[in-house]
Amino acid sequence: MTLTDEERRRGRRNFLKALAGVPPLAAFGAAAVLDGPSRGGPVKAGFIGPGRQGKVLLGQCRREFIDLRAICDINPRNRAEAAEGLVKLGWPRPTLYEDWREMLAKEDIEAVLIATPLWTHAEMATGALASGRHVLVEKMMAYDLEGCARMAEEARTRRLVLEIGYNRFYAPHYQAAYDHVIQAGVIGDIFHVRLMYHRKQSWRRTSAPPSPDYSPARWGYPTWDHLVNWRLYRQYSQGLVAELGGHQIGTTCQFLGSAPTHALGSGGTYRFTDREVNDHVYVILEHPKGRTVTFSSIESNDFDHITEQFMGTKGTLVIGSEGEVMLFTDTDSTTPTGIEVTRKDGNAVLDASESRVADARGRPAAQPGAAGTGGEDRLLPYRLEIATFCSAIRTGTPLRCGVERAAQITATCVAANKAIETRTHVPVATLT
Amino acid sequence: MVVTPVSHRQPSAALPRFALVLLRTLVAWHFLYEGYYKAMLPAWSGAGDPLGPWSAASYLAAASGPLAGLFHTLGSPPLASTIDTLVIIALIAVGLSLMLGLFTQAGCGVALALLTLFYLAHIPLAGVLEAGAEGAYLLVNKTLVEWAAVVTLWTQHTGRIAGLDCLIAREIRGTHDQPPGHERLAEGAAL
Repeated sequence: MTLTDEERRRGRRNFLKALAGVPPLAAFGAAAVLDGPSRGGPVKAGFIGPGRQGKVLLGQCRREFIDLRAICDINPRNRAEAAEGLVKLGWPRPTLYEDWREMLAKEDIEAVLIATPLWTHAEMATGALASGRHVLVEKMMAYDLEGCARMAEEARTRRLVLEIGYNRFYAPHYQAAYDHVIQAGVIGDIFHVRLMYHRKQSWRRTSAPPSPDYSPARWGYPTWDHLVNWRLYRQYSQGLVAELGGHQIGTTCQFLGSAPTHALGSGGTYRFTDREVNDHVYVILEHPKGRTVTFSSIESNDFDHITEQFMGTKGTLVIGSEGEVMLFTDTDSTTPTGIEVTRKDGNAVLDASESRVADARGRPAAQPGAAGTGGEDRLLPYRLEIATFCSAIRTGTPLRCGVERAAQITATCVAANKAIETRTHVPVATLT
Repeated sequence: MVVTPVSHRQPSAALPRFALVLLRTLVAWHFLYEGYYKAMLPAWSGAGDPLGPWSAASYLAAASGPLAGLFHTLGSPPLASTIDTLVIIALIAVGLSLMLGLFTQAGCGVALALLTLFYLAHIPLAGVLEAGAEGAYLLVNKTLVEWAAVVTLWTQHTGRIAGLDCLIAREIRGTHDQPPGHERLAEGAAL
């Protein structure tokens, strides 16, 4: 076919006119993929361990980001109470399981939330990750660093989300203090941090078994007491340093921007001799550049209750009762921080927590007049933690704690306990 | 040679044609993204916030005006879920039609039908800033403006200016214009 130059030009023009809509369509596709919504509704999840702490987490689940389909607990009373609590809040009744492996095998779920005793974390988390499920596990990450390493490796190789429940990384007032006081250099260089978790209580829980003939023996708990008071047994728990101090140690690592290199310690069962874990612990953590952190957790006096003091060259930041933030500088006395927490909406299944039971003088957090409880939504960090976990699964939103920080806290707690036990200067390991 | 004074020159035909195609593309983008967004829900925003499922039910339930009863019926079971699906399909279909200039007149027709329904469901009579609106409207709102824009596109047959309708029109014209035996002659010429 012979065409003139003019005919060729006209042909090309016609072709371009006909396809004029293609470039805008391509641009639309690119824009929609880059900035449009990511497909996927609430994350389908199962929950293992709705005990006392578990119910707190459960109460902060919201249907817009998570679809709770199954509940698992070896205690039938916990299972029933959790299911009833969810139904009362308008959730569909979840399927109940006694065995977490059966739940993973039978349920169409994408993620698992784990709030079981510490010694089970590594086994359950790696099991869930190995089955292709994302995992949010309560703190501490695992009983030891070997467990942390297995969990981290499983999540890394399978490209799954693994988050650990150090909810202070999701607490707006802590992060505001970090951003606007620590990062802004308001209190100067920090050389000393004092951490206190003081309580005047036994830590022993008295709860009847779900039935007279109930035995948790096949799950590794010889008696009911081993299960209900697992925190008091060394086989299951890393004691006060891990269960209570872990939150404060994590915050300190973030605020100082470093991890401790060595631990010194002392402690023992001085007041309550009915347990294997210590009821009084005193730890010194050495961070690089001479920065020293002291931590004490006692069960004989609740003065100062839960307090962190960051002592800088220009001032001191005090965070009390996991919510009250005070700033003292060299030039004035008490300076309002302006850090506020949103109001409470009252949707929790159970408003209680291991770390939120009382104010500085031991008054219950729900009691009118308790410090730092003026209507703030003190469970918001849990909600943000779960929401961010779900968001990370769907959209890749960065986690605020993450494996590296959680493993570092575990290493620090393990080293501190070893230092207490051996009365020696113990180096803090790092996860390789 | 006759030179026309600058002030008396006719405007170039290319510019208004380009403007019309641009208008069509913008309207298309609006429809297409509205449909795409609704089809994606429930979803997650880029910032990581959950976005709940979409339904026209609440919009229809809040309808006012002379056709309020009809809209309330459409927004109630058992029709509501069907309406949701139809709205999404219609929005995407209109968007693709106007974007590609394919069956443009039909696309304009469906767009006008949708915009008419959207307008009639919520005719702005208050004249003040209302909750959820980004401006104060009295009788004329952005839905009505977009309706007028689509009327313009419809009257101007913009698919013939640019778009796949050009190819279709040429194909039809070619089939009608060619004398019998044209294909054979063409093959001979090529040889």
